[in-house]
Amino acid sequence: MKLRGGHIITLHLLPLLIPFAAFLLTGITVTVLQSLNLGFPFSNTATVQTLSARAADTQAVSPEAGGTVPGLFSAYREILQSPFFYESVRHSLFIALVSAAASVAAGTALALLIWRTRRAVKKYTVIYKLPLILPHITVAFIVLILFSQSGILSSLAYKLGLIGELREFPNIFYNKTGTGIILSYIWKESPFAALMILSLLQSLDIRYLQTGSMLGGSYFRNFRFLILPHISPALHTSFIILFLYSFGAFDIPFLVGESSPRMLSITVYNLYFREQLSSRPQAMAVLTLMFLFSLIFISLYTRSVSSLNPKARKV
Amino acid sequence: MKKSPPVTPFHGTVSAGPDYRPGSPNHIIAKPVHSPETLRRLDLYRTGGLIGDVSGLTFLLVVFVLPLAVLVISSLSASWSFPELLPEALSLRALQYVSSQIRPILLSLLSSSAYSLLTVGFVFLLSLLPARALARYDFPGKTFVDALLLIPVLLPVMTFSMGIHVIFLRLGLSDTFAGIVLILSIYSYPYMLRALISGYLRIPGQYTTTARNLGGSFLYTLLHVELPMLLPGIAAGASVVFLVAFSEYFLVFLIGGGAVPSYTGYLFPFLQGSDHSIASLLALIFLVIPLLLFFLMEGIISTIYKKRGLEA
Repeated sequence: MKLRGGHIITLHLLPLLIPFAAFLLTGITVTVLQSLNLGFPFSNTATVQTLSARAADTQAVSPEAGGTVPGLFSAYREILQSPFFYESVRHSLFIALVSAAASVAAGTALALLIWRTRRAVKKYTVIYKLPLILPHITVAFIVLILFSQSGILSSLAYKLGLIGELREFPNIFYNKTGTGIILSYIWKESPFAALMILSLLQSLDIRYLQTGSMLGGSYFRNFRFLILPHISPALHTSFIILFLYSFGAFDIPFLVGESSPRMLSITVYNLYFREQLSSRPQAMAVLTLMFLFSLIFISLYTRSVSSLNPKARKV
Repeated sequence: MKKSPPVTPFHGTVSAGPDYRPGSPNHIIAKPVHSPETLRRLDLYRTGGLIGDVSGLTFLLVVFVLPLAVLVISSLSASWSFPELLPEALSLRALQYVSSQIRPILLSLLSSSAYSLLTVGFVFLLSLLPARALARYDFPGKTFVDALLLIPVLLPVMTFSMGIHVIFLRLGLSDTFAGIVLILSIYSYPYMLRALISGYLRIPGQYTTTARNLGGSFLYTLLHVELPMLLPGIAAGASVVFLVAFSEYFLVFLIGGGAVPSYTGYLFPFLQGSDHSIASLLALIFLVIPLLLFFLMEGIISTIYKKRGLEA
């Protein structure tokens, strides 16, 4: 009977586990193998592009052809010696950290604002979901129209006499700090965080707040000691998701990102598609490092959260 | 004889819960009914009153609707340059351009909708039984499987998609419609899985047991007992998966390689270019399909529920 139950569960899970193993795990394995200069059985002989890759590889691999054998970790060595890589890492971490933290904070404020509206107007607050429908590239375009030096806000600042000419408006695009990317992420992702937080806020019993107020708690104290602990699982979950998303996403930096320093995703894209075929293992090495970093980040974050608050649900 | 405990005054309704068994008081649902006055006073601890409502809605309008209004104005403008707050002149140039390019635009919209809808269907088929297992059964390693299956949402997309691209090249799936549906499914199934799991958790297991005891086969029970009750979960999962698939740029660009038309692929060069008025109009057109589908789905689901006499 127990065996039969086990079989039923396995059969139930198979529809997902098969494609999961066949593509997702194999995809990650191919990435790792190629980063170690081992992935060539997988290159496609049918396309001209990879044919030449193969030729280049066999040349490099076979010592008779005059090439040197690339070591297992040669791609990693090359990446770790390049100063651009560290710049890229710093840039990506900075953008991911700032945009995820700001989105979660803005999402909390947004969720509270929506939660605090009364029943009659609540249905109109759905407009906060608009950025969820828009694709990332459109969001970046909207932020570009609004915030560029010749944009709407710059014009508004000029009309209000805050700036005397176009150049005085802060340049947020194509500068070194990636402010344009961060703003796009905040506008796009704070409704997502708000959505997650709202679902928890709706289950918060108002009588807690009532009791808090009766015991003399200010609104801030109520927020700090009653609301915040209640919504913290949603805060942690959305922070992890948003941090890792903006750490590795491609769309927005590809549209409005600066060329130096570059985000890691753009570095990978350039190494893989724009440079010589021999630098493809380096692209895969960067991806492998990103993969390992994400795993470590998830496990460290969930561990620290659960040690702070044993009741907090893990992702 | 023992004296019965004092009865506290209770205003409200008491009913038997869905899995009520005689002698199990835990399954009795008590719903307090507050007077309007109590409700108003309770609400004071939550709401910001009239000022809160007005300022909150205004804030939402300015932050989330005004930017789209700017897109509308921009799509109708002939030229709009610093430091004007409104365009100097209006023109229908963008509209004329779009109507002259209507064939490629419609083709890419159709193609995007087609692969997104197919992704929704495929993802539903893939996740239905796994969701059932994860919601209904306890088995060793369940937490691990649960966490493992979240990988596509948590890990950066590039870390697995570049490797999958290599596999697809090998299998002849790159630059094909099927390849796009497959990669989008691999990327977006967790949203459907989550929605179906929470849907299954809301259905009492006794319904399935009863149907099976009455002689319904596994398939019959799945299709005629569980599926109708899962509809809200399916709708929630389907809308998220559709949106994710429809607005994905990178994966379609990587696997489709430009061979399969997609609206995001069509839109991208315009967003990069200097003609903001055409780009604005095309960006607005993008919104039409998701909005249309949402209204359609709301309608379909409420009709189904009305027909069956179920509560939505």
